[in-house]
Amino acid sequence: MKDRKLSIIIGLFCLALVLMALPALSACGGGEADVKTLKIGISTPSTGPAAEKGAPLGHANLDCWKYINEERGGVNGYPIEVVWLDNGYDAAKVVTNVKKFMNDGCLMYATSSSAMMTASMEIANRAEFPGLVCFNAPNLHRPPKHIYGQLPDYGDDWTAFAKYYVENIWKGPGKPKMAMHLLNNTTGYGALDAAKAYAGELGIELLPSEEHTTTTISEVESLTRIKAQNPDVLYIASTPKPAAVIIKNAVELGMYPDITIGCGHAAMTKALVDIGGADITEGVYGVFPSASWGDDVPGMAKVAEYCRELHPKDEGNGDYVTAWAQSLIMAEILRVALDNVGYDVLSQGDVESWRAIETQGIQKLKGYDVEGLQGPVSYTSGDNRLSNLLKVFQVQNGTIVSVTEWIEAPLVRYEEFEWFGK
Amino acid sequence: MSLPCGVRNYTYARDMAILRTKTHWALFIGFIVLLFAAPLYLGNFWLGVANLIGITLIAALGLNILIGYCGQLSIGHAGFIAVGAYTTAILTNRLELPFLVGLIGAGLVAGIIGIIFGLPSIRVKGFYLAITTIAAQFIIIWIINHWSVTGGFTGIEVPYASIGGLVFKSEMSQFYLIITIAVIGTFIAKNLARTKIARAFIAIRDNDLAAEVMGVNLLYYKLLAFFIGCFYAGIAGALLGHWIGFLNAEQFSLTESILYVGMIIIGGLGTTLGPILGVVFIRLLQQVLTVELVPFLEKSFTAMPAGFATGVTPMLFGLVIVLFLVLEPRGIAHRWALFKAAYRLWPFSY
Repeated sequence: MKDRKLSIIIGLFCLALVLMALPALSACGGGEADVKTLKIGISTPSTGPAAEKGAPLGHANLDCWKYINEERGGVNGYPIEVVWLDNGYDAAKVVTNVKKFMNDGCLMYATSSSAMMTASMEIANRAEFPGLVCFNAPNLHRPPKHIYGQLPDYGDDWTAFAKYYVENIWKGPGKPKMAMHLLNNTTGYGALDAAKAYAGELGIELLPSEEHTTTTISEVESLTRIKAQNPDVLYIASTPKPAAVIIKNAVELGMYPDITIGCGHAAMTKALVDIGGADITEGVYGVFPSASWGDDVPGMAKVAEYCRELHPKDEGNGDYVTAWAQSLIMAEILRVALDNVGYDVLSQGDVESWRAIETQGIQKLKGYDVEGLQGPVSYTSGDNRLSNLLKVFQVQNGTIVSVTEWIEAPLVRYEEFEWFGK
Repeated sequence: MSLPCGVRNYTYARDMAILRTKTHWALFIGFIVLLFAAPLYLGNFWLGVANLIGITLIAALGLNILIGYCGQLSIGHAGFIAVGAYTTAILTNRLELPFLVGLIGAGLVAGIIGIIFGLPSIRVKGFYLAITTIAAQFIIIWIINHWSVTGGFTGIEVPYASIGGLVFKSEMSQFYLIITIAVIGTFIAKNLARTKIARAFIAIRDNDLAAEVMGVNLLYYKLLAFFIGCFYAGIAGALLGHWIGFLNAEQFSLTESILYVGMIIIGGLGTTLGPILGVVFIRLLQQVLTVELVPFLEKSFTAMPAGFATGVTPMLFGLVIVLFLVLEPRGIAHRWALFKAAYRLWPFSY
């Protein structure tokens, strides 16, 4: 018995030794020393509490880089080495991930979730290491530093939806009353920031907002409070799971479909319909900054081809399209920077290279169409959102379809409002 | 404490010494030299990991005093770390006070908040106390999110730590700051464990009724344990804030609190060595699995779809922890003590 226990402990010790030796083993690959490559870093929450979004996002990022390297021959002929790390939606892990990217000579990095970018952004800002965030919140780029938004932020979602609602849906007299149900993080409160800034201008009366968590299983109580105030429209700024719970509860309380429900882009994906059910979510509006799955745009064929071949379970997921677009944008940034400063400057992977990527890559982007997968990206001085275009979508017969063309979200200088960050 | 064969203590001072033999001293000095020379042989990334380990260690030492010595189960430690982090952020950012004021202030405020949430420990214990400390975690995070001074959901920036004119900007300078405080914290915790206070803590942990009969003031010592444990958490939080530069309440989750408890259990409760071993083991395991194993598997099995290896990390992480708890429930520190005893007697069994 004692011998067996001892042998198990020795086994565990050996396992630990093998794990420790992995860096040396992976360095023994060889054979690629002469190939001129460039490195970028990508950190996704592929495991942990946000894996329902993080996994398809990570898959799409990696699939897209496989496509860029294998079919396009890299960027300007240089293969791109992707240092991809899972952060498990853990702040401590994403901080060390970003330090790893900087240490490994990556030229820039990307995260998918606003929470993970919030945790790591100041480390990147201090080092002038440029970052690209997929799901964007106002606090990440106001005031603008070295973090850029691939997409409009959660506040822009609200502005686009509210504008659409007032101009196309609201038919009653006076001001429509809007209730907001907010996830208890920047996803939720980023939308509230925009509502505080723009509701008056758009002629919307804001009701007191309610808050929920990512793990909520019932929002009957908070919706009962909202129902008592007779709202005309309910805006949900959340992720798919809690948004599905809220919509389901709204149906149970007889609120929906009498009122209009709109969702921010973090919730408006196939997962919302899958979790909530097609009948429950039918007619729900939402905004999303990427093309719909299967849209007739130039880039969709490759998205579909790679997804079906490598990650068929992600087919139909809008997040897959979004992350694919993110990698295309990173490739375009590298291409522009290579054209402007050449390989030698970028190959250093140090602060000079990071500055070159930022000033000669990101800030030189002008109307790159991202193959139609999202709104065109450009850099405008003082605005670190590379895209400010969104479409309004609606669930129709269990499918999310766009009901508008691209809508432009105005730049809000949140830092000029006294209440911002308080 | 068992001593190597032939070593005797002839004076009280010698008996009380932490380092008793020349070998102890040589190993200790060697370890300190190796530790403080780390920037010479570690890259920036691993220095960053070392900084994270140092910060986590300070917090774990506090939790070990609370749970390991005094037996007061706390599952709200990340909340107390958050109190320290936000205190230093407010003091150094909003009020522009010096770093040292922020650091000490963070410890004191977290300690006082710890006393408040420790009050239920007078009436409840075990799982019931654990529930009240979970409540602390949620209440603290809710207040941080909804109080304008803390920056709410937007978060708050924390400037670089600085003492006098010395600004701790580089990973290396931050390493020296964090590791120095971690070493001092460990030294204090080790010495605290040899005082009347720790003996009172242990008496309460083992049987609080018997301790009270012996004259141990339960109210005083339980709250003292909460104060010390949360003071450490506050100091760790302050260092974390200055290290990462930006705070948001999502960085202090309940999962983190549970992980801290896991670290001290795996390391060995009620020993000073336990938290050190537990923290180093867990943090290194996390990093090795995330930044070495998964990329290695992805590179090695190119025929598999990208991202296939992500599930390996949580599975292996969970498996290793379960195996440790099953095979060595008294922690790595106990296994280390057994190894030392066997080594001293080798080649004889007894």
